[in-house]
Amino acid sequence: MSIMKLISIAARAKVVTRRYPFEPPVVTEGFRGKIEVDPKLCWGCGVCTRICPPNALTLKKREDGTLVLSYFMGRCIFCGMCAEVCPRGAITVTKEFELASLTAEDLVRDVKHDVVRCRICGRVIGPAVEMREATKSVGGAGAKYYDLCPECRKLVVARGIMTKVGVRP
Amino acid sequence: MGERGRYLPECPEMSEVVRKLTEEYGGHMIFSRESEVYVEVPRHELRDVAKYLYNSGAFLKTCAAVDERPLNRSFALYHIFGMDSKGYDVIVKVSTPEDDAWVPSIVDVVPAADWCELEARDMIGIELKGRRLVRRLVLPEDWPEDVHPLRKEVPHDFRPPSVKAESEFRPPERGIPIGPYHPVLHEPEYFELLVEGETVVDVYYRGFHVHRGIEKLGESPRFTYQKIPFLAERICGICGFVHSTCAIMAMEKAAGIRPPERAEFIRTVVLELERIHSHLLWVGVAAHILGYDAGFMHTWRVREPVMILSELITGSRKTYGLNLVGGVRRNIDKDKMEKIMKILERVEKGFKELANLLVSVPQIRRRAQGTGVLTRSEARALSVVGPVARASGLYRDVRKDYPYLAYKEASFKVPLYTEGDNLARVLVRVEEVFESISIIKQLLDKLPGGPIMHEKCSAIIPVDELIPPGKYAVAAIEAPRGEDVHFLMTGEGRPYRWRVRAPTYQNIPALRPMLRGDPLADAPLTIASIDPCFSCTDRALVIDVRTGRARTIKLWDGGAGTCRL
Repeated sequence: MSIMKLISIAARAKVVTRRYPFEPPVVTEGFRGKIEVDPKLCWGCGVCTRICPPNALTLKKREDGTLVLSYFMGRCIFCGMCAEVCPRGAITVTKEFELASLTAEDLVRDVKHDVVRCRICGRVIGPAVEMREATKSVGGAGAKYYDLCPECRKLVVARGIMTKVGVRP
Repeated sequence: MGERGRYLPECPEMSEVVRKLTEEYGGHMIFSRESEVYVEVPRHELRDVAKYLYNSGAFLKTCAAVDERPLNRSFALYHIFGMDSKGYDVIVKVSTPEDDAWVPSIVDVVPAADWCELEARDMIGIELKGRRLVRRLVLPEDWPEDVHPLRKEVPHDFRPPSVKAESEFRPPERGIPIGPYHPVLHEPEYFELLVEGETVVDVYYRGFHVHRGIEKLGESPRFTYQKIPFLAERICGICGFVHSTCAIMAMEKAAGIRPPERAEFIRTVVLELERIHSHLLWVGVAAHILGYDAGFMHTWRVREPVMILSELITGSRKTYGLNLVGGVRRNIDKDKMEKIMKILERVEKGFKELANLLVSVPQIRRRAQGTGVLTRSEARALSVVGPVARASGLYRDVRKDYPYLAYKEASFKVPLYTEGDNLARVLVRVEEVFESISIIKQLLDKLPGGPIMHEKCSAIIPVDELIPPGKYAVAAIEAPRGEDVHFLMTGEGRPYRWRVRAPTYQNIPALRPMLRGDPLADAPLTIASIDPCFSCTDRALVIDVRTGRARTIKLWDGGAGTCRL
């Protein structure tokens, strides 16, 4: 008896499998796939690298003096936390999930940033866009010192004050 | 460590227990909360305390060993007793000085302590006095004798060289192996069945092949409270949301915050969705084991819309990434609500038809009825959980016993069978699917408005400041497979100790009474009938399974959970 019942269930259900990849896959509007970082919006502040649970996003200093925000899809868990915390809205979560590739390098997306170096000691202070934008909003006296690292800035300011009050630095 | 709080606990029910433990057994109360009380007792009284608690109806949830040497130069063992009928936990702490590290074993008083005691011995190095059978449980046999991975001086990425050791424990004779990969569950475990003719007379289990060091990793600087939910979610591939919610509930308890009502409702809805998909998956697999593949495929056809629904609500079919400390990340709007209702309607109808058919197939009934019997008293002694307990007439359900999140708002019944056989376990799960569907419908009907995230929390604000060091918390959730327990002791910015006890951990020891005396042919079904999840059970430590070189592995010589060569 049960076999007849099953046949009737099966006949009503019909074929439910899809001919993927010849047919589009089922992707709902809620789906989270890989992320995309807009290099025009990204400042290179690195907040996303701090929140990323699997460390798929990393901020690396290159020897040629650039700062690279590197996204490795092989580690990504597609949680989208980075997009949530990005202060610039530079990260978007796409619906793309077909990421298979023959080489691991294909799974890396880099966003390069120029850096600002301290004009006295030459140390890297931070990404150029971020520094420029930050200086704009601070304005005034801050702008004078923006290309100085914290140590050199202290020295310069201290020297300025001492000269003003007449103590030989 | 801990707070020397008020003498009287908040809940009047607890007072009697606390009075008894402090006055008669010389203990002192460390701290209490609405549903938990922490009492430290001298170690020579532990056995009597355990006997008293066990006889007054407590179930042993698990025990957690903690290396407290950096704090007070001693090791500690926390036995978590759950007073199911009264809805609170009694956590009994015993301390042992670092140079004389032993605790009395309570396994002959409370059989359920078997595994967690051995784990404490492996991971922290506390000796157990008065135990007949002492052997390694978690660590592989070629792990060095004096390295205990959860001690604080062992770095989280430490990989000791393999040592040649005589196997401490092996079955007296060769049996029939099932494993190291279960033929249908696709997870590593190893059972050796000793048979007489066709009848199973004894069972040996060798597990913990898939350690990933998750507990240790959670304590490492690599993780913060904000990232741990995502890590916890990866403990299990089926009930990941249970683990992330449970870890978060422990953290929220420690922080003293409660997420907004709407967030609690959404979490509950997703937890029940997870139960539906898990049970449907299991029913399909059970049909497959019985050779009824048509039933398997149709159950999974019915299940598929639930997976798509999960993706719609959370963003992913599994490992939802929905939870944060203080709330959830995604809202359920009107449109989604309608879709959920529509799909659940379809699933309910489809599964009703199919379930009626499945349990009426004579071959299935004959195979499942009267096999793998677990009696009520065995179930009680081993503190089994979830559908396994409920099929053996043990009324245990965290949703009813310790109501959490929004379960108080829904009315549902807990299916209970007394036969204790495989069929009863099938029926419990089948009925639970319909109860879960009803719970979701009820909750969506009265989904409260308001925010979905606590005002003090968000993705951007680090929650570290909210969770001060030195707090304790125990959280439990009814996972599809039974009670999932997380014990948390907070540290600076991350857990000091995070102990996860998955439901299967409690249920595997019950396989021995289930399999004994049964025909060999029924063993695969019986093993599957507890819906074992080996990744959950094995969550706990630093073993690298990416062996560099190939070598012949003899199972009892510790090949199974081998560390790096």
